[in-house]
Amino acid sequence: MATSTSAKKHLATTLLVPELRRKHYAQTVADSKAGKKVAWCSNNIPSEILEAMDITSVYLENYATVCASKRLSSAFCRAGERAGFSQDVCGYARILMGYLLGGDDLPEAPYGGPAKPDILIVNSYSCDSRMGWFTTMARTLDLPLYVLDSPYQPGGGCTDPDNIVYTESQLRGLIAFLEEYTETSFDPTRLRQRLELAAKANDIQVEIYQMRKHVPSPMGAGDAYTAVWPGMYLTGSEECDRFYEQLRAEMRERIENGIGIVPEEKLRLMWSGLPFWYNMSLMNYFEEKGGVVAIENAFFRQLRSLPQQDEDPVRDMALRSTMRRGYAGGIGERIDLTVEVAREYSIDGVILSYNPSCRLFYILQPALKNALDRAGIPTLALECDMADERTYSEGQVKTRLDAFMERLLARRQGDRREIRPS
Amino acid sequence: MDIGSASSKALILEKGEVVEHAILPTGAESASSAERVMEMALRQAGLELDDISYIVSTGYGRVIVPFADEEITELSCHARGAHRLFPEARTVLDMGGQDCKAIRCDAQGRLGDFAMNDKCAAGTGRFLELMADVLQIPLNEIGPLSLEATDEVRISNTCAVFAKSEVAALVRQGRDRAEILAGLHQAIATRVHALLRKVNVEPEFVIAGGIGKNPGVVRRVEAKVGLRALLPPEPQITGALGAALFAADRVAEGAERRRREPIA
Repeated sequence: MATSTSAKKHLATTLLVPELRRKHYAQTVADSKAGKKVAWCSNNIPSEILEAMDITSVYLENYATVCASKRLSSAFCRAGERAGFSQDVCGYARILMGYLLGGDDLPEAPYGGPAKPDILIVNSYSCDSRMGWFTTMARTLDLPLYVLDSPYQPGGGCTDPDNIVYTESQLRGLIAFLEEYTETSFDPTRLRQRLELAAKANDIQVEIYQMRKHVPSPMGAGDAYTAVWPGMYLTGSEECDRFYEQLRAEMRERIENGIGIVPEEKLRLMWSGLPFWYNMSLMNYFEEKGGVVAIENAFFRQLRSLPQQDEDPVRDMALRSTMRRGYAGGIGERIDLTVEVAREYSIDGVILSYNPSCRLFYILQPALKNALDRAGIPTLALECDMADERTYSEGQVKTRLDAFMERLLARRQGDRREIRPS
Repeated sequence: MDIGSASSKALILEKGEVVEHAILPTGAESASSAERVMEMALRQAGLELDDISYIVSTGYGRVIVPFADEEITELSCHARGAHRLFPEARTVLDMGGQDCKAIRCDAQGRLGDFAMNDKCAAGTGRFLELMADVLQIPLNEIGPLSLEATDEVRISNTCAVFAKSEVAALVRQGRDRAEILAGLHQAIATRVHALLRKVNVEPEFVIAGGIGKNPGVVRRVEAKVGLRALLPPEPQITGALGAALFAADRVAEGAERRRREPIA
C-alpha cells in the first residue's frame, strides 16, 4: 500500500493547510522548550480558554489522524495492542498508547512526536472511550487530568437552566484547574478577544457550508476534511480568520464561474461518519465517473451561527454550547440532521462509514440507514476503521464503491422516484 | 466472464439465449483461468474469440481479464442474471466460494441495496469444504445428511477456524455426524439470515452460487427467511449470465469492442 493516499485537492486554499499544520505542531514543541505549559486535549476542549492563558494545546485525535495519513497506523496500533489495548478500542487511542508504550522498534512519529504534556484535559462531549483513554494516560504519565463534563442535551439545542449552570461550572472548574496546575491567571478580556475571532471564523464557515449546496458542487469532502482543520485547531486566531476569508473568496469565485469538482456532475454523495484517514483518495474515487462527495456529516458545528449570548465570556461559552446541534443530543438528533442535510444538498446516495473502533459513529449508522431508506435515499456500508489501516482491503472497498455507483447511475437512467422535495 | 476467487465461469449468449457455458476452478493465476475457461466455452460452442461482439467481466478477478471490454461488479451482474431467470426475483442470495452477498433488485433487474460478507468464511463454500474434510464426508453428501438428523449439535463458533477444532473435538467424543452437520448448517443459515436482514428481504427470493446445490443450507435459510427459495438449475453461472446480458445491452447501444489492457 505504498501509493499516494491523500485526497486530490480542487481548491488552492486547501493546499495551505499541511504547512499550517506542520508549523502549528512545530510551534507547540518550541513553546514547550520555552517553558510554556502543554495540555494534551481531546477534541472540543475549548482552546480559546487555553490560548487566553498562554497554555499550548495538542489535540491527540488530530495527531492520530496525522499518523494515519502518514501510513504509520499499523505500527502504532500494533504497539498499542501489544501493550494490552484491544482492537476494539478507539484507533486513535491505540495509536497514541502505542506511541507512548511501544519500544525502540517504532517508526519515527510525525513532527518528531507531540510536544510533551504537563497536563491532560478530556471532555465527555463526544464519547466515553476517550475518558478511559485519558484516565489511562494520566496514570501512565502521572499527570493531572481535568474531565470537562458536558450534559446530555436533548432535541436540537437546549435551554434547560440546570444544563447551562452545570456547563458554566465545568468551564470555571477547568479555568481553576489551569490556574492551579500551570500557574497562569485567567483574563476574561483575552478570552473575549479570542471568542470574537472564533465566532467570525465560525460564521464564515457557515456561509461556506451553505455554498456547498450549489450544483455543481464547488467544494467536496476531499477538500473539506482538510479545510476544516484551522477552524478546529487554530480557532480564535487572526490566522484562522484569514484562512476562511480566503477560502470563502475562492468559493465565491468558483460559484460565479460555475466551476465544479468534475466537468459533468452526475452523482452527489454524502459521506456519513469518519473518513479513512490513511486513504483520503477515496473521496476522489467517484470523480472519474462524474460522482462527487458533496458533503459529509462528521463536523456539524459549522452548520450554525452562534451569536454572543452574554457579556461574561465564560457564561457566554456555556450558553452557546447548549445551542449546538451535534453529539450532545443523542442519536435521534444526529439522524434527523443528516437526513435534512441529504435533502438540502441534493444527495443521491450516502456512504455509511462503519468504523469498527469508533462507537460514536458506528452506533449511528444502522439507525441512520433505516431513516435514509424511509426517505428513499440509497446507502452503502463500508466497514473500515478511520485510523487503523489494517482493516482496509482495497479490492473489497472498491467492489462496493463500484457497485454503488452502478446502482445510482442505473437509477438515474431508468424511471426514478423523486427523492427530493419540491 | 465471472472470475471468482474459487471458480471462473464463461457464458456465451446469442440472440438473448444461452449458447454455452463453462466452469473451471480459479487457480493462482486469475488471468490464465479466464483464458482457459473462455477457450473451453468457445470450443464447446464451435466459436472463436473474434466471433464474440462484446465481453463483460465480473467477479473478484474482473479487472484482469485480458480480453474483456468492460467490467461490471458481481452485485449488478447477479441481480441481472437472477432476474433474467426469474423475472419476479427481488432478493438474491449469492453464496460463493469465499464470500456471501445479499442483493436486492427491482422489477427491471436493476441493482438495489446490497450487503456483503467478505471478511470471514462463515456462510461460504470454503467453510463447508473445511467441515466436509474434518468429518470425512464428500462435499455433495453433507447437505442431505444434515437433513437426516433428528437432533442438532449446537455449534458455538461461527468462525470457520474455531469451528474446525470444535467439530474435530465433537467427532472424537463420538457425536453423531449428521447432528454435527445439522448444527453447522444451522450456524451458516443464521449467519446468512443476518446478512439478508440488512437488505430487507422481499419475494421472490433466489439463492445463487454453488451452495445453492446444498439442500441442508437451502431448507434452513428458507425456514429463517420465511420464503421459498427459487433455485437456478445452474446456480454458479448467474453472475456470468448477468454480465453477458449487460454485454448484449452494449451491443444494442452500438458499443464497439474495446479489448482493454489488463491491469499489470
